[in-house]
Amino acid sequence: MIRDMIRPGNLLRLAVFGALLAFLLAPDRFAGLLAPLTSNGAPPIYHQSSLIDLTLSHLFTVAVSTLAAAVVAIGLAIFVTRPAGAEFLALSRAVVNIGQTFPPVAVLALSVPAMGFGEAPTRMALFLYGLLPIFENTLVGLSTLPPAVMETASAMGMTGRQRLLKVELPLAMPLILEGLRLSAVIGLATATIGSTVAAKGLGEVIVAGLLSGNLAFIVQGGVITGVLAVLLSDGFQAVARYAAKKGGARPQTGA
Amino acid sequence: MIELSHLTKVYGGIAVVNDVNMTIEAGTLTVIVGTSGSGKSTLLRMVNRLIEPTKGSVFIEGRDVSMLPAYELRRSIGYAIQNHGLFPHWTVARNIATVPMLLGWDRKKVDARVEELMELFQLDHEQFAGRYPHELSGGQQQRVGVARAMAAKPALLLMDEPFGALDPIIRAKAQADLKAIQRRTGTTILLVTHDMAEAVHLGDRIAVMDAGHLKQYAPAADILARPADAFVDDLIGTVDRPFHYLTLGTVGSAVEPGEADGAPLNADASLYEGLGALLWSGRKTAPVVDAAGAPLGRVSLDTIADRAARPQ
Ligand SMILES: Nc1ncnc2c1ncn2[C@@H]1O[C@H](COP(=O)(O)OP(=O)(O)OP(=O)(O)O)[C@@H](O)[C@H]1O
Ligand SMILES: [Mg+2]
Repeated sequence: MIRDMIRPGNLLRLAVFGALLAFLLAPDRFAGLLAPLTSNGAPPIYHQSSLIDLTLSHLFTVAVSTLAAAVVAIGLAIFVTRPAGAEFLALSRAVVNIGQTFPPVAVLALSVPAMGFGEAPTRMALFLYGLLPIFENTLVGLSTLPPAVMETASAMGMTGRQRLLKVELPLAMPLILEGLRLSAVIGLATATIGSTVAAKGLGEVIVAGLLSGNLAFIVQGGVITGVLAVLLSDGFQAVARYAAKKGGARPQTGA
Repeated sequence: MIELSHLTKVYGGIAVVNDVNMTIEAGTLTVIVGTSGSGKSTLLRMVNRLIEPTKGSVFIEGRDVSMLPAYELRRSIGYAIQNHGLFPHWTVARNIATVPMLLGWDRKKVDARVEELMELFQLDHEQFAGRYPHELSGGQQQRVGVARAMAAKPALLLMDEPFGALDPIIRAKAQADLKAIQRRTGTTILLVTHDMAEAVHLGDRIAVMDAGHLKQYAPAADILARPADAFVDDLIGTVDRPFHYLTLGTVGSAVEPGEADGAPLNADASLYEGLGALLWSGRKTAPVVDAAGAPLGRVSLDTIADRAARPQ
């Protein structure tokens, strides 16, 4: 256990996380680092809202919309891989694909009149945008299970529900997690556009930088978002590796 | 007792199982043999309703299997296949416990049963119980697959080429073990293979399938001596026929009084093994002993040769 924790990869993760936390808790200490990016004595650190508040609400927005996308996408993928839902596969694919190809900015523009300014339109956009990766991965996971395993699961006398919960979902888990990872990471970056409709988030810092021509703001907003994305992605992969190991390492998950 | 009555499965206008009628006595091991695509697996899977028949019925102890919910029926029937289909995310112990857990046995009873089966199938509990299927050899996986099929003590066990993926030595051992376990437990077994030698060696009775039809259903000796038609004759193989025949008898059944030199043969050994031993050691006769090593007499090449001739 302890040995595992002090591997170089984990030390690096810890260092990156520590640096991010240090910056968010006391950004002024890093003012000197960002000062060269400003001109005319503009402030190097964003102060209209606290960076940590913005980060937390950014993460919350992503979490809520990814979770909602996961519930819908996984549910839909389960439905269309059951005998009763098979005929809806093509239709579901089409709908989910539209969600992905419709630009999030357009979703924002369209949903503001209906939902008003703030978090709601952003969540809507991220939700639609996040459906596809989770849906497709879950679909692949559930439809490429080893036939001999599926056959014996039925032959042992599992009901459809038992087979789904005890065999299919656990075996598809590495792929489902991969879909969640993609959605969450894409969502994290995409959520920055939410500040154009007054959602609280790290986009606010970037937009403020753009409006006032302050490169330091743009860099700090961008770097915080980027580092969060890397850490999140990394965390998902660690969980997926663990799930794959427990699942007898299916070929497509390698590990 | 299992009864197949006018059992038929049609795929795309073709009857891959065509009006099969068969009665299988309880406690026997019946082998279904035939060429690839002859409908053996389809026939087997209609017994536990993995496939629903187009026509006809299956009765187990007089009850039509289509009257029970499929999952309930299947929990009472063991099922083992060539690619074993072990659950890759479960340990050996959890795999073996599958059906008992579905049936809601209490924890202690399940654990005891798993230990008992692992011992029966010569898998050291301490060493293997916590392993995952991918940490086992092919032969061990296959044994776990059969142990899982027998876990809830089903009266009927269906096996679809259970030894197909094993090398010849492990395969022979697995066959011998299965036969011994079947004798001990009295389980009725319906086993599919395309290997005639396996069929003769294992089967109390053999059912020969060809293009969906049941061509012949009889004890192994009858099939060898009186094949119903050219197809069955072909399947047995002209060259192999006398040797298949010899696997049916034991050395003990061919003992005559007298003495002989050299290493003794065991009375339990098949005549086929006896023949091999005599030929290889260049002897015309060999002494025969019983399981305890006590001398019973001798066996001669001539007697064995007589036993290999087509019965009149
Ligand atoms: N779901 C299906 N749809 C259409 N045809 C099928 C289906 N399942 C099996 N068949 C056909 O039915 C025939 C019998 O198949 P089955 O699997 O019972 O053969 P088998 O005797 O077990 O052969 P093998 O020894 O190769 O396993 C084959 O010709 C096969 O192509
Ligand atoms: Mg088959």
